[in-house]
Amino acid sequence: MNFMKKYLILFGLTFSAIIFSQHHEAEYDLETIAEGLDHPWGTVFLSEDEILVTELSGALRVIKSGKLLSQPVSGVPNVLFAGQGGLSDVALHPNFKKNKLVYLSFSESDDEQKSLNTLRVIRGRLENNSLSNIETIFKATPLRKTAAHYGARLLFISDGTLLITSGDGFNYRERAQYLDNHFGKILRVNDDGSIPDDNPYVTTEGALPEIWSYGHRNLQGISMNSDGSLIFAHEHGPMGGDELNIIEPKNNYGWPAITYGIDYSGALISPFKEKLGMEQPQKYWVPSIAPSGMTFYDGDLFPHWKASLFISALVPGDVRRLTLDGKNVVSEEILFNKLGRIRNIISAPDGSLIIATDGKNGKLIRVTPKK
Amino acid sequence: MLKNILMFLVTVFITTFLLVSQTTVSNLIWLSGLGMPVDLFIIFSSIFHDIVSMNGKGAIPAVGLVALGMAVAFVVARIALIWIPIKRRYAYALAGGTALLAIVLLMPLAFYNLDLIAGARSTLGKLYLITAGVLGGYFFGVNLTTKED
Repeated sequence: MNFMKKYLILFGLTFSAIIFSQHHEAEYDLETIAEGLDHPWGTVFLSEDEILVTELSGALRVIKSGKLLSQPVSGVPNVLFAGQGGLSDVALHPNFKKNKLVYLSFSESDDEQKSLNTLRVIRGRLENNSLSNIETIFKATPLRKTAAHYGARLLFISDGTLLITSGDGFNYRERAQYLDNHFGKILRVNDDGSIPDDNPYVTTEGALPEIWSYGHRNLQGISMNSDGSLIFAHEHGPMGGDELNIIEPKNNYGWPAITYGIDYSGALISPFKEKLGMEQPQKYWVPSIAPSGMTFYDGDLFPHWKASLFISALVPGDVRRLTLDGKNVVSEEILFNKLGRIRNIISAPDGSLIIATDGKNGKLIRVTPKK
Repeated sequence: MLKNILMFLVTVFITTFLLVSQTTVSNLIWLSGLGMPVDLFIIFSSIFHDIVSMNGKGAIPAVGLVALGMAVAFVVARIALIWIPIKRRYAYALAGGTALLAIVLLMPLAFYNLDLIAGARSTLGKLYLITAGVLGGYFFGVNLTTKED
């Protein structure tokens, strides 16, 4: 009898789990708006019906009225497409409608030392499917030999300055703790690449004046809330220890002195998980989810999702919706877990969500409420 | 034959221990320099953690990597010894060093120049690991020598 009872309970639980997982699928429609993209990475809306997408392999593509234009935007600089590097993020100047300025981040080989490379950010004027008047806004130093951990996300914040995430380069993790380099930092520059006077380390001797915060690993998601008062960033941990942080200027986020992850070799990176003067994450993931992009949802199409953070994840491939109470994460919901590795997620002007899947045949998928 | 196999396993374990402990200790030295409270307990517990974890949880078990590298290098050394008149202890020492050299140089080539063994990121670290291979190979050669020379 007990045996039967156990099986009935087990059956009931399994059935409930299936019903529960399908419940979310029923809440929305998924529409593929572009496919055949070569490792889509960064995405931004130019207007209600025009989207710019970067392909890691080096092309900047346009989707207009739901159709992927066959010709990529011309004038984009050559990139180093290797390892995790390539054409990465894209952002629009806050005054894009008037000045047509588009910002791109990418990895590139050094002109003189070809075996070395770095992260570079440029801006150019986008007109008639062509990028012109290209200027370098930022170039990370020192150069690196590795093709990994670039960070490379871009975000214009409410004061009109640009935040750039710069990863630790993998082999150079310890340098994230020092202020004389760009490894493992978030940087803040003016729209023309000059340094804002109120950056936290402008007057610190030996520190690079662009630095906004430090002690990061590989930040591939940065977003701000609707009134611009909170800036969220997530970073890949090693084996475990992915983090979501609220970024404030001058703060040290601890990598690699404190971490919840261990190295890919299995070795400890640090036996310490906290230290005075180093920030604790708002949330961390063990095992890793490989967070790859993030958006703060402020749209009207999904009222119950308003003020949630959406984080795309490469492993196992889903989106995490985090609900917040002020600065605190109060719950996590797993969505869209049947699309494979997800590279990015953004909010569209109409309140829908746009998901970019990873890989050689990447797709852009629009999420709208179920009709 | 059985003794040689046993000696090979002991050699692999010694070399793996040297590799793992170097990764742990070099990491702890840096953390200590940063003002983190590294004490004896932390040192020993970290080494113990890494011996278990680098051989059980890592992407590639360190002991397997060392065993594979040394097996290939020792076979080549054994063949070379047929023609090259050199003491076995030195031949195997050279082979052990070459095995570790190959590990620290070839692994990054397979992973976008990433040094997956953290202790191998610096030149000094690479030299130490090669020395560990030399010591392991020498130990193996000496223990073969008593019977075969």
